[in-house]
Amino acid sequence: MSLSHSELCYPKLSSNHMHVHYLVQEQERSKTYAFNMDKDLCTPMGELLDCRFERLEKALNVMIDSLAKNTPSEKLAEELVSAQEDLNDGLKLLERHQNNYGRIQQLRQETSLLDTQIKDIASSLWNMRKELKAVPTTAHPMNGQRYRFTTAELLAYGRRISRNTLPPPGVTNGVDMSTPEPSQTTQTPFTSFNTSFNGTVGTPGPMSATPNTTLDTQTTSQQLAAAKPNTTEAKLPQHLKPAVNPLHNAAFQPWPTEAQIRSGGLAAIQRLVDAGIDPRGYDPEEEERKKQAEEQAKKEAEERARQEREAAERRMREERERMARERERARQQMEGGAGADRRDSVVGAGPRASKPKQFTFLGADDDDDEDED
Amino acid sequence: MDSWPMSVDSPALDPPSVPNGGDEPKHGGYSRFELELEFVQSLANPQYLNYLASRKFLTNRAFVAYLEYLQYWARPPYLKYLTFPTATLKMLELLQQEKFRQDIISPDLAQALMAEGMKTAVEWHREG
Repeated sequence: MSLSHSELCYPKLSSNHMHVHYLVQEQERSKTYAFNMDKDLCTPMGELLDCRFERLEKALNVMIDSLAKNTPSEKLAEELVSAQEDLNDGLKLLERHQNNYGRIQQLRQETSLLDTQIKDIASSLWNMRKELKAVPTTAHPMNGQRYRFTTAELLAYGRRISRNTLPPPGVTNGVDMSTPEPSQTTQTPFTSFNTSFNGTVGTPGPMSATPNTTLDTQTTSQQLAAAKPNTTEAKLPQHLKPAVNPLHNAAFQPWPTEAQIRSGGLAAIQRLVDAGIDPRGYDPEEEERKKQAEEQAKKEAEERARQEREAAERRMREERERMARERERARQQMEGGAGADRRDSVVGAGPRASKPKQFTFLGADDDDDEDED
Repeated sequence: MDSWPMSVDSPALDPPSVPNGGDEPKHGGYSRFELELEFVQSLANPQYLNYLASRKFLTNRAFVAYLEYLQYWARPPYLKYLTFPTATLKMLELLQQEKFRQDIISPDLAQALMAEGMKTAVEWHREG
């Protein structure tokens, strides 16, 4: 309305009026803009702006009227300016208002976003809890005692028992074959090897290719065993023969085999008892060691005796030799002494044959011994 | 395998000490720990049980008392020395029942136990 009015007035207005008119247009625009954005805002802000704008419009109308009537008044102009400033303040307020509103909207968005996040997390937690509760766990006896162990111990134990709790892959076929399920008998190279092996021995065991035979032999062996339970140890059921055959590599049993039991410590004790030895406090290794030590001691004693005997013999031999040498020397001395006497008479005293030596006969002998040593 | 004279009146022994490299009394070169470990695991073999039953061991009161005593293998620190844990513990449990001790004399039962034990050993891990 005011816009059309201004347009109507526009040609008649002076430059001063033109300026005011421009301002009005500008404010109108911002007002429209503000109200478009502000539709759902609380009204006080809109009312405030409305009344300030009306005041400016009124002042402007009065001003235009007074100008049209050619009675300009300073008071009216001042009123117009103050109305203008008022509106400007209001617009600044509106700006702040709008900024705050934008911020509120942004925060609302954020909170709703976070709300959905929280909901998501909560629901996923709930789902996880449901899944966890659905996981089947080992049932622990609640009243039983709990034992502490470390992961390392558990793993070490697992490694130790694994060969006894799960057959190696190649053996699985053999085990399936040995269970009385003829439908599972499939011919593989592995079992055919067993067949040929068994064939040469002449015992048609469960590894034979025909399942019917397997069942027959089993039932007969069971009947035999049932008839004479005392002979089970001596005569194994046919299908177990491969299991106790050390040459049969395909044997897997989740318990110690008969061969293992028969070669164990208890069997060793049985052998000791059979031999009439009380196994209590008896250690074959210890006994062996003792025996060896005794033998060693005996050998050493013999060796020592032999050495002593030899040493004595050597001493005696040396003694004999010495005596023989002494006798020989004495004989030579005797002969030499006789010769020297003769020579003395002919040539005179030689460098070696000195007279006093003849009188210290034994002393000269000692000298000779020292020379030998 | 015969055993030396047993008596119900002999006092119950404490489980042997876990081997610690010390100087333990030996029986035929083996410690009590080694022998009892070997024996309790031998009991896992159904055929051996059938044999023991046929030799009337399982009706001997002293032997039954010994079986009861052997239950210490189901507890630490002994438990971890069993290398055939599944069958050993099951058989040890079954052997405490008088009915089982009487029934195992049947070779059919021993046979069935062996078949089932084998099957379980092959198939237990396929369930998961």
